[in-house]
Amino acid sequence: MLIPRRVKHRKQHHPGRSGAAKGGTKVAFGEYGIQALEPAYVTNRQIESARIAMTRYIRRGGKVWINIYPDRPLTKKPAETRMGSGKGSPEWWVANVKPGRVMFELSGVPEETAREAMRLAMHKLPMKCRFVKREGGDI
Amino acid sequence: MSDLTLNAEKRTQFGKGAARKIRRAHKIPAVMYGHGADPIHITLPGHDTMMALKNPNALLTIVIDGDEQLALAKDVQRDAIKPIIEHVDLVVVRKGEKVTVDISVHVEGEAGPETVVTVDHPTISVEAEATNIPEYVTLSVEGLPAGTQIHASDLTMPEGATLATDPEVLVVNITQMVSEEALEAELTEAEAEVGIEQDQSDAEAPAEAATEAPAEGEQAE
Repeated sequence: MLIPRRVKHRKQHHPGRSGAAKGGTKVAFGEYGIQALEPAYVTNRQIESARIAMTRYIRRGGKVWINIYPDRPLTKKPAETRMGSGKGSPEWWVANVKPGRVMFELSGVPEETAREAMRLAMHKLPMKCRFVKREGGDI
Repeated sequence: MSDLTLNAEKRTQFGKGAARKIRRAHKIPAVMYGHGADPIHITLPGHDTMMALKNPNALLTIVIDGDEQLALAKDVQRDAIKPIIEHVDLVVVRKGEKVTVDISVHVEGEAGPETVVTVDHPTISVEAEATNIPEYVTLSVEGLPAGTQIHASDLTMPEGATLATDPEVLVVNITQMVSEEALEAELTEAEAEVGIEQDQSDAEAPAEAATEAPAEGEQAE
């Protein structure tokens, strides 16, 4: 799973959820992509699950790119704990994804295979997504 | 003259308020510049422009107050989510003038067995006459073995076009497929780390689908 090797601050504020993606909104490396349509925190487990789902379907025939990285820690207080006594301990690593962001890319497979592989991967992700193709921004 | 003619109107109001007003009227704000002339701010018809820009290197004839000018789209700003064009930058060209544009690389054929074809640069820059821009450059990978690397200099340029990009740029890379055992081991390890348990029925289903999928692709060709 994707985890930062070293961080400057162990506990951070929650990343902002407003607005749309400023970059990474086009398919840059592969032929097909999964584009986020809603903002969400995507955990490293969700990213890995989506990658496994895609790879299991396409088997050995293609190449997968992951364009997001879970570099933001989220903390959680233990159950049945009173409020106060400082911030909880880091629990998850998330990527702060905003609408329009192309999160995964795929190449080297026919379109029908890519569509099905990405449909399976989208079910592992916490937001509405859509399948996008490289050429001319057509959907 | 090109057959893609767009009737434009000159813009007199600027800024985001005026631009949004234009977009609400299903039109597209645009700017046209080039050849040392002052930039001209114009409004283009929304649907016609969208259809004309399906081909990114389309030569457009822009008609402003009866005057015709040839132009190429230099930059098209699209909304990341909605299928709308927000703004277009047009560069004025003349007949016979040479321009540098990006054209796509079309890969044809099936590479050798047990290979994966990765297109590292899906577009390349070429220099061509503005009135004779090729749509794409074709590249055949038929039967090529793993380890083959095709650089920009290896491409056969369409007639009238010369390569404008670095000839050493890697365009297509053909690599060996990962072995079935290595892939299975990697996926099993990854699933164990995430905590996914595979049922026997689950494990069989994608394998069957994957064996069927390439067969469909072959039939289609």
